[in-house]
Amino acid sequence: MLEVEKLCVRYGKITAVDGVSFSLNEGELLAIVGANGAGKTSTLNAIMGLVKPHSGRIVFDGVDITHLEPWKRAHMGISIVPEGARPFADMTVIENLEVAAMNIDKAEAKRKMEWVFELFPRLAERKKQLAKTLSGGEKQMLAIARALVGPVKLLIMDEVSLGLMPRLVTEMFKIIERLKREKLTMLLAEQNTKKALQVADKVCVMQNGSIVLEGRPQDLLDSEEIKKAYLGI
Amino acid sequence: MLQNIVNALVLGSSYVMIAVGLTLVYGILKILHIAHAGIYAFGALFAVYLCEIGLPLVFAVTLSLILSALLGMIIYKGFYKHVLDRGRIVPLVMSVGLFATMEDLYRLMWGPYKRPFDVYIDLPDVMTMDLYLSSRGLLMLIVTAVVIVLLYLLLMRTKLGKSLRACSNDLGLAGAFGINTDRSVAFAFLIGSSLAALGGILVGLYDNTVYPTMGSVPSYKAFVVVVLGGFGSIRGAVVASYILALVETFVVYYFGFLLPRDAIAFLTMILLLMFKPEGLFGKVRR
Ligand SMILES: Nc1ncnc2c1ncn2[C@@H]1O[C@H](COP(=O)(O)OP(=O)(O)OP(=O)(O)O)[C@@H](O)[C@H]1O
Ligand SMILES: [Mg+2]
Repeated sequence: MLEVEKLCVRYGKITAVDGVSFSLNEGELLAIVGANGAGKTSTLNAIMGLVKPHSGRIVFDGVDITHLEPWKRAHMGISIVPEGARPFADMTVIENLEVAAMNIDKAEAKRKMEWVFELFPRLAERKKQLAKTLSGGEKQMLAIARALVGPVKLLIMDEVSLGLMPRLVTEMFKIIERLKREKLTMLLAEQNTKKALQVADKVCVMQNGSIVLEGRPQDLLDSEEIKKAYLGI
Repeated sequence: MLQNIVNALVLGSSYVMIAVGLTLVYGILKILHIAHAGIYAFGALFAVYLCEIGLPLVFAVTLSLILSALLGMIIYKGFYKHVLDRGRIVPLVMSVGLFATMEDLYRLMWGPYKRPFDVYIDLPDVMTMDLYLSSRGLLMLIVTAVVIVLLYLLLMRTKLGKSLRACSNDLGLAGAFGINTDRSVAFAFLIGSSLAALGGILVGLYDNTVYPTMGSVPSYKAFVVVVLGGFGSIRGAVVASYILALVETFVVYYFGFLLPRDAIAFLTMILLLMFKPEGLFGKVRR
């Protein structure tokens, strides 16, 4: 469903992503883990089209989307929970969702709204609240809900658990597990390696812009050496 | 007293018309769109020209608004769009250059002189014991009120309006949720520019004068409004327009012997910025 080939992202002279390749099949969950500044966000943003790749190729559903505008990628079914949630601050909860659901038909949009409000009852209670007045956890929920109400086929999530208290982290991963059962394809960047490994089908470990290790979580966990050197658990 | 308030409302309405476009553009692109004032002048000059060659007022105005809207979009598509990733100074310099060029072109096309806007407006003058409002002033108030209501509905109720607000909140991210940001920005220029032109026409009518540099002072004032309104908030800009006009009118009325009115407007802004740097309705912005 998604293929990334030799992706490079540069900011001026800084090379943030340096020849990253991986692929993701339908219904799979790939987790990218790695230290701060490893290039996870840059990789995900390049797939969404929020940053321009310097070189490399991104193919989604058989279409080369490397240079496609973000809104066209959204229409194709790529959706993102950006780092730091970034809800549309001066719009209400429901307006945030309406914006993301503009491109699907009314009945479908209504069904999806009901679905995300069922996933996040706390948002349902706050439909008319301005996004900027939500708590950090609620903002994160809104960001996930917003990414889900569109025509999503591939969900990209950048550190959804960052800065949340443990109970909320657990809640977020429950949601991720549930989405997985519903066969949504997901691409996760996570610093919470332990949790990420529990839900992932495949894991890529990034360091200094490159993938230094990849495999199934179980294989990585089986090696004490890998656990110490790369996963920090 | 009443007379002063009504005068201020008329003045404030002219600020609203020009400030809306500036605020939309600033809110979304973070560009100070100086050339917007060039469109304000163009709207008035072109409408007068069309009337002079014999077109009925309604046609002249409609045609002028359409052309002004397109002119605004051309400024975006032809200029700003290509320098958006170059920080704020490059588009600003570009905008100043465009504005100067526009004013010079108008001088070439229509001469440097003030011209009357000679048309008949089918509205009564309002005249009572303590109030005089010309039919042209009345027209200004009515049209602006309608524009404000329509604008509110557009922004709050329509898909385009919500897209524009999303772009204004986070242009970089709006695309990721399926919004064609380029098209939304183009629409912001279409809407903002036609309103500026309408403002120019209404002021031209009210003062019964149009001239190539008529955009300069209103544009500086409109920047005051954008700042007071909180950089990018339309509601703030509308309220700030009327507050500025009221302050201006009353200060000039009581202390007009001290300073000219434009100096007062800018002093107001400077004082406000010193004490409330985020504007009256400021959002916290990156
Ligand atoms: N807009 C930018 N301009 C310049 N450098 C940037 C920019 N964004 C990221 N970088 C740099 O690129 C590198 C990779 O950043 P990135 O955000 O992709 O890492 P990350 O793995 O997501 O880190 P974190 O875990 O802290 O979120 C870092 O060195 C960072 O400083
Ligand atoms: Mg990151």
